[in-house]
Amino acid sequence: MNTKQEPQRFVIPIGPQHPALKEPGNFQFTVDGEIVTKAIVRLGYAHRGIEKAAEERTWIQDLYLIERVCGICSHIHALAYCLAVEQLAHVEAPPRAQAIRVLVAELERIHSHFLWMGVSGHEAGFDTFFMYSWRDRERVMNILEKLTGNRVNYSANVLGGVKFDLDQEQIASIRGGIDFLEERTRHYLDVVATDFMFLQRTRGIGVMSRAQAEIMGAVGPTARASNVARDVRKDAPYAAYKEYPVDIILDERGDLEARFEVRLKELFESFHLIRKILDTLPGGELTARMPRKVPAGEAVMRVEAPRGELLYFIRSNGSDKPERLKIRTPTICNLTSVVKLAIGHQLADVPMILAGIDPCFSCNDRSVQIRTSNDPDGRMLSWDELRQHGIDFYKRLEK
Amino acid sequence: MNSEEIITVATGVVKSWDWATETSRPLPKQLDVKVKLIKELVPIIVGLRVKRLGYLAAITGIDLGPEVGEMDVLYQFCPGDVVITLRVRVPRQEAMLPSLCEIIPSAEVFERELQEMFGIQMLGLHTTEHLYLPDDWPDGVYPMRKDFDPQILSH
Repeated sequence: MNTKQEPQRFVIPIGPQHPALKEPGNFQFTVDGEIVTKAIVRLGYAHRGIEKAAEERTWIQDLYLIERVCGICSHIHALAYCLAVEQLAHVEAPPRAQAIRVLVAELERIHSHFLWMGVSGHEAGFDTFFMYSWRDRERVMNILEKLTGNRVNYSANVLGGVKFDLDQEQIASIRGGIDFLEERTRHYLDVVATDFMFLQRTRGIGVMSRAQAEIMGAVGPTARASNVARDVRKDAPYAAYKEYPVDIILDERGDLEARFEVRLKELFESFHLIRKILDTLPGGELTARMPRKVPAGEAVMRVEAPRGELLYFIRSNGSDKPERLKIRTPTICNLTSVVKLAIGHQLADVPMILAGIDPCFSCNDRSVQIRTSNDPDGRMLSWDELRQHGIDFYKRLEK
Repeated sequence: MNSEEIITVATGVVKSWDWATETSRPLPKQLDVKVKLIKELVPIIVGLRVKRLGYLAAITGIDLGPEVGEMDVLYQFCPGDVVITLRVRVPRQEAMLPSLCEIIPSAEVFERELQEMFGIQMLGLHTTEHLYLPDDWPDGVYPMRKDFDPQILSH
């Protein structure tokens, strides 16, 4: 019989459903009272073996497979793949196609950031924010549908170019949509910077210093909110970003508030860029001719997905199929950071810290289990209950 | 630092190990370093880190198939717009590589992936638990190897 009194420690698994990554994730947080003392990540619950499957398919079939790596940022995956294959085949897509690729990529960034904004508002218990931002997100979804025919998996890219052209009516509707969204973004920026309740959940929470962000390899807005100037669009311009440069938005605070502000300010860059593309859209062809077989060689392609740097590595053996295709998504880099950041924080802050790196939370109801050392079967908490715990915790603090 | 300066600095670092490396530039903004002695890999990476070129973007494994009997492992560093690739080659049987976790903590996820997908033992990596594969995945089956047969999972 175990008579030794063990200290009360809880292990709280969050996950596995977690669709922002290539696969859902599970986080196990060990807590001492309210404070997180240890955090472990476990992935792979829906590993679909896309890298392996890509080796079995032709270059063209892979394009459709790759677009289904992620539902939120499908365009950027296909774009990275196309650019890498084009680099191997020594083909360059025409300037008009490159500009349209950037246009869709920026529209996708707007939709992704609005989606994230709503979700993190919801995690904070600020559901009005969630409802409004998702209502506004419909506007950009409609634009994308009008442009490409699809709300998600736009299928805009083909090897060597893009599938569709823009007409005057579409250009006018994009302009109208962008004006509306810009005004809304200005309002949201004001909300996240001034709303007292919301600031309580973001200011000084999950602080990541610049040195930490660098050593943990954080990417995208998460890194830029810690003053790490890392943006592939600026560092290594691809597609038409050389002709349409963007400014890097940096913040030195490194907390959740900074991550909100960086993402929202980035949207203004996107609006600006989209207008510029519409003003100066180059004429000409939409596709360049692609060979069926791709010459042997290797290509590394880096692009800036909404969540940060996305890397594709392709090795070709000269046949009609790739020898190896490697995908490194931005969230895998940011995960390491989130796991380290959570240590020392209140359990109530965990939902917000997780949401802060933008691991798309479209799957709402996650199962959370609380296990105690003398109750091995544990108690089940749903994600909703954990979220509620966070909200109640901060309400109690206020009283 | 612009890309030319980055490449000059990186070439300078690698030059100190010229008996163990072979350098080439497949593209203007790419530096390719073949590391022939695996025990020199960690010191070279420390050298890159000291010069602030140590942003590890990915570690990629490539199986060359049972006929060749070897695997390539590429360490891709991406400072600025440059891609510095360190290449090592390991045998398919009892492949071993030193872990980078002590120098670059973010290498852990990439190394765990190599460990379970390619069967490369990472020396110094504290966990052997699965990161992506299921807990009941059969031992000694590495799905990213060329001779992996999915039929093995059907019974």
